[in-house]
Amino acid sequence: MTPASRNIGRLSREFARRELATLVGTTGVRSAVLFSADGFEIASQATDSAAAARLAAIGSSLSALGSAIAAEAGLRDFERTMIESSDGTVLIMRVHGTRAMSLAAVADHGAVLGTLLWATQRCCEALGRIAGE
Amino acid sequence: MNPGVQGEFKIVFTGPMGAGKTTAIAALSEVEPVRTEVENTDRMSHDKEFTTVGLDMGRITLPGGQVVRLYGTPGQARFRFMWDILGRGAAGAIILLDATQAGVLVQLDLFVDAFAAHVPRGAIVIGLGRTHQPGALASDAFAERLEARGFTLPVLSVDVRKRRDVMLLVETLACILEAQTTEGLPS
Ligand SMILES: Nc1nc2c(ncn2[C@@H]2O[C@H](COP(=O)(O)OP(=O)(O)OP(=O)(O)O)[C@@H](O)[C@H]2O)c(=O)[nH]1
Ligand SMILES: [Mg+2]
Repeated sequence: MTPASRNIGRLSREFARRELATLVGTTGVRSAVLFSADGFEIASQATDSAAAARLAAIGSSLSALGSAIAAEAGLRDFERTMIESSDGTVLIMRVHGTRAMSLAAVADHGAVLGTLLWATQRCCEALGRIAGE
Repeated sequence: MNPGVQGEFKIVFTGPMGAGKTTAIAALSEVEPVRTEVENTDRMSHDKEFTTVGLDMGRITLPGGQVVRLYGTPGQARFRFMWDILGRGAAGAIILLDATQAGVLVQLDLFVDAFAAHVPRGAIVIGLGRTHQPGALASDAFAERLEARGFTLPVLSVDVRKRRDVMLLVETLACILEAQTTEGLPS
């Protein structure tokens, strides 16, 4: 049992995996990882599990840096950040729930930005509902 | 050496989870430090409420007028990528350790190796915490371990909550840097 599994019950983890599968079904979305604020993978849809664990750690750093820069600018808490590269996008979005969690979605150039945002938002809302229970 | 604003350089506080990197920078910094602490869900590794997942950032002006930018790293190996980001361009590193933690000598090796790759040779100071608590490993053990691996580095017993102790670590590092350059501190 990973420490982060305390964040979310066993049944909920199955549910989370299904929600992530729906997200990965979106055109261009290659993988998705749900992670705790301190960088542990909670659930993922990715072919490479070591890569998913690394994405969870880096994603948590980016979320925390996002919160730090928002605070510095006098803004409220971090909601999302997007890393755009020449051949794809990584979207990191906060999941609202009882425990602090975020979701990272990796998409290639085949993804439409608006669709990626919408699908990830929808996934986060669904995950927030189960995590809040 | 570290290129940057003249008379200003960067040092990194590193070491395992709970060693006191965030506490040390908060104790020393003359400005409110930037923190990136979040809830710690891994109470098996360390039973504390918060843990750093990004960086700590503070600043201190030395009596000689040099401005030192203080950076703190996360402690867990899964944040190794941050060690490398923060280590790049650093003039030196301060490795904080908890002398009562199991496996602390292995931690010493891990952090010395990780940061020796970034900072000029010898620009590392070791700060040992909780040395007066029961179960603490004697500081000789740390010096011997370093020596056996070909490193001669200062090992100081500190309480990271005390500004004076943290200042001593920074001043020790500054002395090493000064001795390494003919023009004084790196600029
Ligand atoms: N009682 C006691 N507490 C100490 C001593 N030295 C450090 N501490 C405490 O140890 C804790 C260190 O926590 P942090 O400063 O968050 O440690 P960190 O290295 O930043 O940890 P991570 O960010 O999780 O890697 C603080 O609560 C300190 O007050 C000591 O000598 N005695
Ligand atoms: Mg810290």
